[in-house]
Amino acid sequence: MTGEGLHRLGTPRRATVHAGRGGVPTTVGRTRVEAVNEDWVVEDRWWTGKPLRRRYFELVMVDGRNVVVFLDLESGRWFTQRA
Amino acid sequence: MVICVLLARFALIAALGDRRALLAEPVALAPEAGGPQMVGEVSAAAEAFGLHSGMRLGEALARCPGLRLVPPDPDGVRSLWSELLDRLEGIGAAVESDRAGQAFFEAGGLAGIHGGNIEGVLASTRRALAGRDGSGAGRGARIGVAPARFSAYAAALKARPRRAAEMVSAGAVRAFLAPLPVRLLRSRAELAALPETLERLGIRTLGELAALPAPAMAERFGHPGLLALDLARGRDTPIEPRRPAEPVVERLALPEAASGPQLEHALVLLIARLLARPERRGRSLRSIALSARFVEGGTWRTAVTLRQASADPDRLRIVLTPKLSELPAPAESIAVEVEAFGPPAREQARLIDERGSAESRRERIGEAVRQARQAAGSDAALRVLAIDPESRLPERRAVLAPFPAEPAEERRR
Repeated sequence: MTGEGLHRLGTPRRATVHAGRGGVPTTVGRTRVEAVNEDWVVEDRWWTGKPLRRRYFELVMVDGRNVVVFLDLESGRWFTQRA
Repeated sequence: MVICVLLARFALIAALGDRRALLAEPVALAPEAGGPQMVGEVSAAAEAFGLHSGMRLGEALARCPGLRLVPPDPDGVRSLWSELLDRLEGIGAAVESDRAGQAFFEAGGLAGIHGGNIEGVLASTRRALAGRDGSGAGRGARIGVAPARFSAYAAALKARPRRAAEMVSAGAVRAFLAPLPVRLLRSRAELAALPETLERLGIRTLGELAALPAPAMAERFGHPGLLALDLARGRDTPIEPRRPAEPVVERLALPEAASGPQLEHALVLLIARLLARPERRGRSLRSIALSARFVEGGTWRTAVTLRQASADPDRLRIVLTPKLSELPAPAESIAVEVEAFGPPAREQARLIDERGSAESRRERIGEAVRQARQAAGSDAALRVLAIDPESRLPERRAVLAPFPAEPAEERRR
């Protein structure tokens, strides 16, 4: 939902992600990825002119943080998101 | 003297929007979603096929196979008409309008500020209706001037669009009305059924009606009969100008086919935002309208008048939620608008003090919210509102909505 003055929570933010073999992230920003917890694909609004296709990764970073990133399969850009 | 401004097919013009050129073709307003299958207003070209407003859709299409149907847009009609009324009020007119496309106002007090005569007032009225660039929706208006509302309406019907106004002086009003048919009385909702009875009794013109004795009319028809007699004799009740609206509306776009709980969450958010609007100035809400714009085009609108004016979000939600189920088609956006404000929202003090710790805590939070808002604006205190908690897309799960004002805060306003 959108509207004037609406504050949405968990909006995606652009991220610098390097991906290795199989498109799996190896670094997010300057931090290396320790492990991939889970990955999944979301496809939505395929019936509209603006389909939404994302490949999500839940990552464990070397500094111990858990980070969720996704690759927008339509634009090819990476984003982080609070899931 | 009363000036009547009449805009034929206003609902159709409003629904056509930028496609006004289609009026030259046979077009009609499609039946309202969920309503009876009857066409609304029709264009002049459609009238040539024998179509009229209220005709069954099947019959209309049988008579005119090339008929184009335009989805009705009650929201658009309301905003366009309100804009025209605002413009008329801009020239100083105290306007009465019960239905879109029809407005009345007294010319008397306006002459002094528009050249000292009725012609000056009419010129200003035309300019106001045409808008700044002369292409406004009101440029095709018919204008009638007569001593009272009903006679001004009859005069406007006789006037031609964009031509000089039809003027009827006080001395000539009875003679002007006399040859007109009694069915003209249908323009008054309270007299809608009367003309048929009068015609059955052989009274076909307003002149014949005006000649009847008042006691006989009162005995046969009661109050409506006396009103009809007054109208036929050129008299009418005084103009009751509208109170200028204070448009307070909150709208939410629904990018996907929202339904059930999602719509309810959206409604909760809209109510919270509506109650947080500074224009409310602590007042309760007396009447609220819920409207929607459909994915397929067209709009829908329903108004609710509260039995008791309230600014309680829960009460407003309880009143409006059942209306969501009346939505006849998938909505692209929904809106909640205040149609009328009530008195300032005040909670009545309790006779017996039952304040528990939870309540005093809530009051303290309310006080903190009030202070935070005073220091940093209305967005200073927000709460997380779950919109679609099960969504696979995190950004669709929750939004920040205005923190509800506590009774303590309301009382201070």
